[in-house]
Amino acid sequence: MADEELHSMGRILDVVDLHKSFGTLEVIKGVSFGLDHKERLVLMGPSGSGKSTLVRCLNWIEPPTSGRIVFDGREVEPGACDIRKLREDIGMVFQQFNVFPHLTALQNVALGPIVVKKLPRADAEAEAQELLAKVGLAHRADHKPGQMSGGEQQRVAIARALAMHPKLMLFDEPTSSIDVELIHEVLDVMVKLADEGMTMIVVTHEMGFAKEVADRVVFMDQGLIIETGTPAEVFEHPQQERTRNFLSKVHLA
Amino acid sequence: MAIDFRLIWEKLPFLLGGAWTTFSLTCVSMVFATVAGLIVGLLNMFGGKVLGTITRVYIEAVRGTPALLLILIVYYALPRIGLNFPQFPAAAVSLAVCYAAYIAEVFRSAVESIPMGQTEAAYSLGMSRTQSLRYIILPQTFRRVLPPLANEFAALIKDTSLVAFISMEDLLFRSKMVSAATYDYFSPLVGAALIYLVMTLPIMQWSRSLEKKVD
Repeated sequence: MADEELHSMGRILDVVDLHKSFGTLEVIKGVSFGLDHKERLVLMGPSGSGKSTLVRCLNWIEPPTSGRIVFDGREVEPGACDIRKLREDIGMVFQQFNVFPHLTALQNVALGPIVVKKLPRADAEAEAQELLAKVGLAHRADHKPGQMSGGEQQRVAIARALAMHPKLMLFDEPTSSIDVELIHEVLDVMVKLADEGMTMIVVTHEMGFAKEVADRVVFMDQGLIIETGTPAEVFEHPQQERTRNFLSKVHLA
Repeated sequence: MAIDFRLIWEKLPFLLGGAWTTFSLTCVSMVFATVAGLIVGLLNMFGGKVLGTITRVYIEAVRGTPALLLILIVYYALPRIGLNFPQFPAAAVSLAVCYAAYIAEVFRSAVESIPMGQTEAAYSLGMSRTQSLRYIILPQTFRRVLPPLANEFAALIKDTSLVAFISMEDLLFRSKMVSAATYDYFSPLVGAALIYLVMTLPIMQWSRSLEKKVD
């Protein structure tokens, strides 16, 4: 554990002057930030502000146009480091769940370790069963996503990401496609992860979650970071007009 | 003009012999067309620029010309350059080459109908492109591909009638032989129609039930 303590002191992620364009449209216009081990960062901002794209650049699902990403001491760029190895260490949870519909919950969770880490099937499935229990879905192991609610599918997706033992978890609007009455199922799991010390970047508009869990809130607009601070600072005393504007709309919603 | 059912009944064994040719030709062509179509479709999507272009040219060339033309080329033109095919293989090769192009498109549209998020989820776990194709995309594709493949099979049953042009005794050709011998142009053709329907209707029905399952 001493080793882990040492790590927890250090940086896990540094993003320097990141840009991303789709054709002529620049979506991220020079974003820099850093993240420590075990830190929980919540990204907020109006739609089109580039927060989802930013998160998707971090594991190269969306290759950035320019800028530097340093993850866990490795410079991230094709050639300098194996993108696939990077992705093994960064878990991702999507707005649309993206669970594999042809596989059971258990198979969804066990597939990554079996295919990517070459873990024996029995071992992978035993751990998958534990992870499903952790997200409250032990009884759904043999069900396919089509038979599950959105909240259940998203929890399978979280277990699937955890199965790779990631050092960082990215959540891209994890509750935006889920029925209101089921959102807490997913948030509860995320809070539990945070309590266990998982390093997380979460794109969400869930103020309650941000207040409870986030060490830092980053507010983005039009491809730039506008404001950053603790939840209390950003929510109670926003410095920027655009932040105030956005927060008043979120409060109304 | 009445339909002479007694004549149909009397000539039924002869017609069924033709139907067997139709059916076996369909099955052989379909197997080759499906395998080739899968390969062509995958090369078209993932084979890179050169193979992508070659397969695209092939697909469009075949889709833009009549199947009959292909059959005539294989059976009558290729022997002139020393490539001789007996009737059945000539017919099977032409139909397979023709249907492989359509089936390649079936596979392509099925792969493209899988949401991008599936590939992204596979990548986010650290899978390679090959792994994501093998474990995530293709298994989902095969379900979606069955109903349109069944439709292609039914269409192929009907298109085998083109082999009459190279004098193969399939169902349609034999019904015309009966007509020629009896001067009854109605009954044998109606008989052939009924036999075609016996072959195609169950397949189309099966395709529809598969479609419901996929949804």
